[in-house]
Amino acid sequence: MPLAATVTIFTILSFGDQGYGDEIARSALMTVQISVLAYLVGFLIGLGGAVGKLTGSRVTRGILDIYTTVFRAIPELVLIILLYYSGNAALIAILGMIGVTGVQINGLLAAIVVLGIVQGAYQTEVIRAAIQAIPLGQIEAAKAYGMSPVLRFRRITLPAMLPFAIPGLANLFLNATKDSALISIVGFTELSQATKQAGVFVKYIQGNPLYLLVFYGIAALVYLAISMTSNQFFAYLERRMRRGQARPA
Amino acid sequence: MKFNRRFVFAAAAVALMASGGPAMADLKIGVDAGPYPPFASPDPSGKWVGWEIEFMDALCAELKEKCEVTPTAWEGIIPALNGKQIDMIVASMTITNERKKSINFSNFYYDTPTALIGNKDGDKDITPAHLSGKTVGVQASTVHQKYVDKYFAPAGATIKTYQTQDEANQDLAAGRLDYAQADAAALDAFLKTDQGSSCCEMKGMVPEDAEILGGGVGVGLRQEDTALLERVNAAIAAVAAAGTFKGITGKYPDLNGVIITP
Repeated sequence: MPLAATVTIFTILSFGDQGYGDEIARSALMTVQISVLAYLVGFLIGLGGAVGKLTGSRVTRGILDIYTTVFRAIPELVLIILLYYSGNAALIAILGMIGVTGVQINGLLAAIVVLGIVQGAYQTEVIRAAIQAIPLGQIEAAKAYGMSPVLRFRRITLPAMLPFAIPGLANLFLNATKDSALISIVGFTELSQATKQAGVFVKYIQGNPLYLLVFYGIAALVYLAISMTSNQFFAYLERRMRRGQARPA
Repeated sequence: MKFNRRFVFAAAAVALMASGGPAMADLKIGVDAGPYPPFASPDPSGKWVGWEIEFMDALCAELKEKCEVTPTAWEGIIPALNGKQIDMIVASMTITNERKKSINFSNFYYDTPTALIGNKDGDKDITPAHLSGKTVGVQASTVHQKYVDKYFAPAGATIKTYQTQDEANQDLAAGRLDYAQADAAALDAFLKTDQGSSCCEMKGMVPEDAEILGGGVGVGLRQEDTALLERVNAAIAAVAAAGTFKGITGKYPDLNGVIITP
C-alpha cells in the first residue's frame, strides 16, 4: 500500500497514488451530481404536485396530500433504504411478470430518483405556497387575454411564482446536499463516505486517531464550500427573477 | 434563456450517461464500506486492500469467477444481498443464528479466538481445573460471561463481571483479578500498551464452543443460491489446503496469532 511512513497534510491530500486528494475531489463531484440531479427531479415533481394540489380533482388532491405528508414525515434515511431496496426488487418483479428479465437497474439513477421523490414532497409545498402568493389579478388578466392554461402556466404562473419560491427552494438545495450523504448507505462513495474511508485508513496506518478529525474537517469545509456556492447562485437567480419588481422597503 | 435551458438538459444527460456504472461482473462481492482495516479498506490510490480482499481474490480464483469489489454500507449489506445488488458478502460477518434467518453462510474463513490473559508469572495452564480458586474477570452480558459461567465457574473459579472490558483490564493490572477473558484481538491491543505489557501476559486461547462464541466469520449468500454455497465451501477448503491463508496472514503482522483460519 503506497502510503509513506511519515506523512504530512500535503502528502495525504495530494493527487495520485500517494494521497487522497483525487478520491476526495471525485467524491465531492459525486455529491454535487447526486444533489443537483435529485434536486431537478424534485423540482419537476414539485411543479406537477403543486399544480395538482391547486387545480386537481378531489382524488388527485387526496393522493398528493398523502404523498407530501408521508414523505415529509418519515426520516429520509428510512425512505431511502425502503425505496431503494424494496422499490428495486418490486420493479424487477413487475418487469419479470410482463416477461422482461435480466434487467439491471442503474443504482445511481435509482438513488437519484429516490432522493428526488423525497425532495419533490418538500418542493410541492414550497411551490404551491408560491403560486398562491401570485396576485390574482395577473392570472385573471392572462385569462382575459385568452391564453390557454398551458401558455398561462408558462408565461405567467411560472415566472411570477419563482421570486416567492426561490428562498424556500434554496433552502431545499442545502437539504439535498446533506441528504446526498445518506446515499452512502446504498453503496455510493460520495463525500462523507470517501473522507471517512480515508480517515479510518490513515488513522490505522499511522496509529493516530487525530487523522479521523482531519478528514472529517476537510469534509465539513467542502460541504461549506458547496453550500456557499449554491447560496450565491440562488441569490443571483432571485435578483434576476425580481427584475422590475419594487424593492421591499 | 433558450440556450440556458438547452444547456441544463444537455449537462444532465451527460452526467447521467457518465454515471452508467461499471461493466457487469460475474459476481459482485459486498465488502463493508466502513472501512475495516486491516481487513478491507481503500488505499490512497483508491484500490481496496486488506486481508479479506486478498482472501476474496484467492476465493474467486478458486471459483474461476470474475469478482468485483462492491463497497456497501454495513447497515444495508444484507438488504443489498437479498435485493441482488451484490451476490456475496465478504465483510467480516460473524455467523449467528439471528442472521441465518435471512441469509445463508459458508463455512468460516476466519475466526477471532477467545483468549485469557493474566499476571506475568509464566504459568500458561488454562484448564478449568487449574483456575479453581482463582478470580476471572469478564465484561457483563457478553458471550465471554456465558463461556466462563459454563466452564470456569463450575470448576471452582470466582467470576467477576464489569461494565466495560477496560475496567476488567484495570482490575487485572491492579492485582484484583487473576485472569481476564475476551476477544484475542482486544486483549492483544491491551497487552501492547505500557500498562498491559508491564503487568500481564497472554495465557492462551480457550477451546472453541460454537454454541456460545458463535461460528466464526463466513461468506454470506442468498438462501436460494445453494449451488453457489457448495462451490464456495469447496473453494474455501481448497484455499485452506493450498496453504494460502498462512501466506496472506503473514503479510499482516497485526493479525498474526489474533485470527485463526481453516
